[in-house]
Amino acid sequence: MKNFIDKLKKLNSKGNYSIYLVLIALFIVSWMANENFATWGNLSNISRQIAVGTILAFGQTILIISGMLDLSSGSVLALAGVLSVSVYTMTQSLALSFIVGIAVAVFCNILNGLMVTKFKTPPFIATLAMMAMARGAALMYTKGQNIYQIGDYVVFGQGSWFGIPNPIWFLVITLAITWYLLKHTVFGRSIYAIGGNEEASNASGINVNKVKMKAYIINGIFVGLAGIIFMSRVNGGLPNGAIGFEFKSLTAAVIGGTSFTGGVGTASGTLAGAFIVGFLDNIMVLIGVDSYLQQIVRGAIIALAVIYDISIKTKRKRTKLIKAK
Amino acid sequence: MKKVLALLLVLVLTMGLLAGCASEGEVAAPAPTDTPAADGTYRVAYIARAQADSFAAWMANAVKEEAEKYDNITVDIFDGQASDDVENTLIENAITNKYDAIIIQPNNGEAQRPYAEKAVAAGIITITTNARISGIEGASSVDADPYLQAKVNAVAAIDQIPQDANVVVLLGPPGNFHADERRLSWEKEFFEMRPDVTIVGEEIANWNKDEAMNYMETWVQANPKIDAIIAMNDNMAAGALEVIKDNPAYADTLAYGVDGTAEAVLLIEEGRLTSTTLQSAYALAEALLDTADKLLTGEETQIDIDIDCPLVNIDNVQEYIEMHKRAGAIQ
Amino acid sequence: MSQEVKLSVSNIEKSFPGVKALDRIEFSVRKGSVHVLCGENGAGKSTLMKIINGIYQPDAGKILIDGQEVQIKNPIQARSLGISMIFQELNYIPEMTIEESLFVGNWPLDKMKKVDWPEIRKRTVALLKEEGLNYSPTTKLKNLAVYDIQMLEIIKAISYQSDIIIMDEPTSAITQKEVDLLFKKIFELRSRGAAIIYISHKMDEIFKIADDITIFRDGKVIDSRPKEELDIDTVISLMVGRKLSNNFPKVDVPIGNVILETKNITGELFDDISFNVKKGEVVGFAGLMGAGRSEVMRAIFGLDPIYSGEILINGKKVSIKKVQDSISKKVVMLSEDRRRYGIIPVRSVKENISISNLNKFIYSGKLHAQKENETVSYYCEKMNVKTPSFETNIEALSGGNQQKVLLAKWLITDPEVFIVDEPTRGIDVGAKYEIYKLISDLVADGKSVIMVSSELPELIGMCDRIYVMAKGNIMGSLEKENFSQENIMRLATASITKH
Repeated sequence: MKNFIDKLKKLNSKGNYSIYLVLIALFIVSWMANENFATWGNLSNISRQIAVGTILAFGQTILIISGMLDLSSGSVLALAGVLSVSVYTMTQSLALSFIVGIAVAVFCNILNGLMVTKFKTPPFIATLAMMAMARGAALMYTKGQNIYQIGDYVVFGQGSWFGIPNPIWFLVITLAITWYLLKHTVFGRSIYAIGGNEEASNASGINVNKVKMKAYIINGIFVGLAGIIFMSRVNGGLPNGAIGFEFKSLTAAVIGGTSFTGGVGTASGTLAGAFIVGFLDNIMVLIGVDSYLQQIVRGAIIALAVIYDISIKTKRKRTKLIKAK
Repeated sequence: MKKVLALLLVLVLTMGLLAGCASEGEVAAPAPTDTPAADGTYRVAYIARAQADSFAAWMANAVKEEAEKYDNITVDIFDGQASDDVENTLIENAITNKYDAIIIQPNNGEAQRPYAEKAVAAGIITITTNARISGIEGASSVDADPYLQAKVNAVAAIDQIPQDANVVVLLGPPGNFHADERRLSWEKEFFEMRPDVTIVGEEIANWNKDEAMNYMETWVQANPKIDAIIAMNDNMAAGALEVIKDNPAYADTLAYGVDGTAEAVLLIEEGRLTSTTLQSAYALAEALLDTADKLLTGEETQIDIDIDCPLVNIDNVQEYIEMHKRAGAIQ
Repeated sequence: MSQEVKLSVSNIEKSFPGVKALDRIEFSVRKGSVHVLCGENGAGKSTLMKIINGIYQPDAGKILIDGQEVQIKNPIQARSLGISMIFQELNYIPEMTIEESLFVGNWPLDKMKKVDWPEIRKRTVALLKEEGLNYSPTTKLKNLAVYDIQMLEIIKAISYQSDIIIMDEPTSAITQKEVDLLFKKIFELRSRGAAIIYISHKMDEIFKIADDITIFRDGKVIDSRPKEELDIDTVISLMVGRKLSNNFPKVDVPIGNVILETKNITGELFDDISFNVKKGEVVGFAGLMGAGRSEVMRAIFGLDPIYSGEILINGKKVSIKKVQDSISKKVVMLSEDRRRYGIIPVRSVKENISISNLNKFIYSGKLHAQKENETVSYYCEKMNVKTPSFETNIEALSGGNQQKVLLAKWLITDPEVFIVDEPTRGIDVGAKYEIYKLISDLVADGKSVIMVSSELPELIGMCDRIYVMAKGNIMGSLEKENFSQENIMRLATASITKH
């Protein structure tokens, strides 16, 4: 018990726990509001539903920490997904279609990375351009039509392993990768440093462009994976699928405490952010909140969560400043 | 850096190959020229609602194909990008470019109305379609009646849906003419006749399969019994069915859609989708080109027609599977 | 000089969670005098000034202006009471024009309640003319030097008819010549009857400018008296609470072979630079602001390109295109601009220290936490970094401690040549001494140091040899026996004769 309290105190001193409290509070309120909420079936549903958006959000987290972002992730997801599905329908090879899905998204993100590092385009503009190009390419390739009859391809999004749905496995794996990269690698440290102060990072001997390029490539892997899961889950190649997912993923990252000014953010925070949105969407449907009201509530909760988080952090920063003096 | 470049090159080639497979008959929007086409052919501008909307894209493809049957007509296709602003700009450009006829598939009928009127005033043959903008003096229209589309399903459902049933409803985007009319039709033709039926969930899934899936997954948690899925289009019905496909508890759940897409007719064949209404893009395209031809050659001056909206169910589904096979949408 | 008290505070107290920042402060400033506040960083000077300027509210105590008690709720109110503050870190908007910056927040309006631009232009021109400044009112601030912007701040204070002017280390980023101009201005303000509160760490300038001196330590006023009753050693010992026997702890060590040498290197802002540094040597670079000293160092460190010429390390030609190259050649640099090229804000002390050394902590692809913590803690101790924990955000540290963190970062790379550019700018006396000690220890250890500084006493006290630059050229070098402020300034202000 004493150990637990010490741990809590330590968490408290780091001050990053506020968003988890919001998550727990939301969980408890939802639990009280509807008896179907806290069932394994429902929680597993929520996890599957948020998997795609959250995998994108891990990529966004890495990018936002380093002071960049990706507006193209929804579109690139669709392009990678339909090409992957299409390769599957042509070859019936799961392995090949998986590789193509990842490769296409990585390719698009290498272009993003090149625009940002070589041509010094602001990431906002570079990925905005990619957003339009990738969506256009997906529609052009499919002539705007959904691809049906995708057979066993559905295993990525609908199958399960040891009784746990595959999207949740992918979610856990990407979470672990993101956490490990950010916490235990030179790449992670460099990401935080670049986001904190790019010029100082360069003057500290970090190869800024290389790190940024790596960040986009990792984002590409995540986007490709998300595309495969998405298409597999909906049992089709939807060229206009996942519209707006770039904002969904940005929302999860930002609610999770990733700072748009750079240098701050964690994988677990983003996961919490995604679950906050997931719980909220779920409970509102369960208790039958009016569809229009849902949008208002969603917006309001996002604003409140972020205001709460920021106010806690500001207070902490001030206290620390004085202690140090 | 060399490795990255090599990788890039390989990927560009792969993309090129894939694009090559897809390039035949693609929907492109060639820049229209200012001068009328030589040899007396008529130039028609087809302004699509959005190439990102799968039905609209299907229609644009169908119009393009149908136009090849007419030696005297060339069609240029423009993408309204689901934006009133873009669509209105495209109509104005088409007027400026002196097209002989303009076919408008509105994003939002009332927003395009003044521009359609402008086209009529400029002496250009104007046809509105899917959905029609009614009451424009001098304009023609070709449409499928969304109220009727839903009605044929609703009428069949009255006998199919059991007493005291629990149903869920999936809606299209609010404010969309087809979405609103279809829902209205279900209200008048079904729900008012069957006060015993309870709606246990009703959400806006924006015509999208993935959004419909998410809602259905949640409903399944909250409701041990869902007797019917009432969806305003096939995409959303397919999404909801995807959730319950391997669940024996929902083996008897009925499902209704609209559009008659390739996916939907296959689901009917499997016995999972109960019925849909064919809103045939081919039929619309056929009627559009026929109408355009008649108006351009002066055979008629004003036409308003509705295409049929046949009910597709297990009894006649093979006919529609054949139709999609002919069009290449089903292998 | 009048004896009339303009502003006084009595019994001011201010606490923040866990610390008493000000403890029963008594302090007063006379009309037409310059009152210098000194004390180490964190001693409470800035907190008191923020209270006088209305940014903080005191927990207890009174503020009196002209003998009347006043409540100062915010800086706008402070301004209306005739108080203006010129901050150490100038916050300005680079895209603003001079006239906009002078009237921002205080726009004169015409009858239609629109901003009255003709009036602004008229007043700006008048102000600039009055102060003898030769700028166009539409020049953007980004095109001005730090000193010019500071002058504008002072003009602004005058335009508000402020008679209490607070200046927080105004000379930390300007050259000696500009300091002289600034002092002239301050004396002028004093003779107009203004009460000036001046915060500084620099002893020579304190004694040049002060009428009265108040010394702060640990949130208390330790002593307050006219300048004539104090001397430099007394002030320093009062500030640090201990006697500093020697300002510059440099010891003489045997000088070895040339380790770093440049041959005719040319870059964008410097031309044909040749110099060398020997093992065990502290080599100084003096010059006025804009002489190109920092630019040469940046180029050697790989931050800026070199157009022509060669760099030799241990007699071998090397190619330095980026910072990684110079680090691998064991040449590192502490930048003059700590905020821009030094610290990574929002990140911890630990991460700031290990950022340049991450490869040393890698074991099978993973950062070895224990190894990292041990190294960081060893160097923090060695450098005497005062921080609550290694996880503390670096922004929470004082300037001196931030500088020590950055020095620790570079020490871990085990450099042979350590370039320090303005290493003691804006830090307190105690930390300055520690940095001098470190430099001395480094050369005693057989390393070499290049020290760029605008503070001549520091160069003279620490260096073995000094190169003097002006307008992108080396004007000459001085050996120890020729060191004097006059000799350095003569070279720094000489016109270029070669070419």
